[in-house]
Amino acid sequence: MTEAAKTPRLFSPYDAPMWESINQDCMKLQWCPDSELFRYPPGPACPVSLSMEYEWRPISGRGRIISWTVFHRTYLPAYPAPHLVVAVQLEEGPIMVSNMDHGVLDRMRLDAPVRMIYIDHPDGYRLPSFVFDETH
Amino acid sequence: MGKSTASIAAVVGVGHTDWVDDYKRVRNGEKPHDSNGYATLAFNRALQDAGITRDEVDGLIVGPTTAYERMGEILNINPRWGGQADAVQAVLQAVLAIKSGMAEVIALVYGNDQRSAAVQYGGPEAMGGGAFLSYVYHSPWGLTSQGALYALMYQRYKELNGLDDSTLGQVAVAQRQWATLNPNAIMRKPITMEDYLASAYIAEPLHLYDYCLINDGGVALIIMEAERAKKVAENPVYIRGIGRSDLNSKATSLGPRLLDFYLPAQRKAAEQVFNAAGMGPKDIDALMVYDSFSPHILFALEGFGYCDVGGAGEFIARNGIGVGGKLPINTGGGHLSESYMQGWNHQVEAVRQVRGGLGARQVPNCRNVQYTSDVAGKAMSIIYGA
Repeated sequence: MTEAAKTPRLFSPYDAPMWESINQDCMKLQWCPDSELFRYPPGPACPVSLSMEYEWRPISGRGRIISWTVFHRTYLPAYPAPHLVVAVQLEEGPIMVSNMDHGVLDRMRLDAPVRMIYIDHPDGYRLPSFVFDETH
Repeated sequence: MGKSTASIAAVVGVGHTDWVDDYKRVRNGEKPHDSNGYATLAFNRALQDAGITRDEVDGLIVGPTTAYERMGEILNINPRWGGQADAVQAVLQAVLAIKSGMAEVIALVYGNDQRSAAVQYGGPEAMGGGAFLSYVYHSPWGLTSQGALYALMYQRYKELNGLDDSTLGQVAVAQRQWATLNPNAIMRKPITMEDYLASAYIAEPLHLYDYCLINDGGVALIIMEAERAKKVAENPVYIRGIGRSDLNSKATSLGPRLLDFYLPAQRKAAEQVFNAAGMGPKDIDALMVYDSFSPHILFALEGFGYCDVGGAGEFIARNGIGVGGKLPINTGGGHLSESYMQGWNHQVEAVRQVRGGLGARQVPNCRNVQYTSDVAGKAMSIIYGA
């Protein structure tokens, strides 16, 4: 596989620590001590307080389903169709896009509780994904 | 603020390239023009339509796909004011420039060779990159296409309102009906709801027919100061008002899109444009909606006050948006069926409907046409009037 065909992943001064925390199976996001809010995607300042102070805090990994879509066309070699993409609102507030096993589609519904797992991405890095949270 | 954009300027000329022929030629492996060439052809036709010479043009706005300086060099225009903008912002900027006295006759030119140049709107080479984030940020999880973001919107909308695919299918079927009456439309074969439902999913719940075309072409408009237009133009179409409201907060984490469907921004833009024009939705004879994907139409109907939130599907079923409908929408066929000129062809269709004489697709007694768009969180609207 050529470099260009790999799934792109953004590395910036703000994104790199997030990807490192994911590599350690413990996803962290920036937390603002002023507003006490988490933010996603990572960035230079808290959108609420404009404070540029932050700490990287682990997130709970719990969330709920906001929406989903099934790709019936393969755009990325790592993700052959059919491929289930989900939008999950994290307990901490932000919505993140992720994916789930296509086999769970029958049970998909709005607000379904989910929890984060970590999987090996075909392009060679760790990636957060989600499963239904049966403990709820 | 209220009336600040009202009747400052008028569209006095429109022009565009031969979308149908060029689509066929590009599919056969030919490359009729590059982006600059398409824009130049459209400009020549718009000048001719306006009945003016190039020497009268003292302002130039080019679309996002061509370089401003090179376009000016090719057209040999040395304006006293100029810039680069997408369709709706170009019209807004032209009005502001005219109001401030920076220019009186402004050419807006757009050319795009996106099909022959194989521009990627999805996949690993998708345009935009890290500067905007948008969907590129979501690509590690397999979401790379703009269409998939609208799939996420419609999936949630459909679940919240207890709807199915056929609610959305009404849009593609109606716009294709208009396209059958438009010789400039690329897709003119009628489709039924059965055809729509039987068509392939791309990013479910969106079907093939919910996606815009990808084709080469160009569009140009000549916008003139209103008093001058009244004196010299045969058939000026006035810009009665413009509204704009942007939603940038939480854009990459999709809050404005998935939780609000851009409604707060659309409502503010609606208030501005209707205040400026001194009108409301009941005064609008036809509506043009930026339709890279068909869900735009549902959200525009709700955000701009044509129906209640969640009621767009029922509104369409009851009133009709196709030929003979009470609220004709995208009467040229739009991006889904006419041509994907990124909002530029909608301005041309709005102007032509107000001018009249479009034969079978002419909206009867058409005096006011509204355009709306919500591209990248910018809710904008223009009302064109006789």
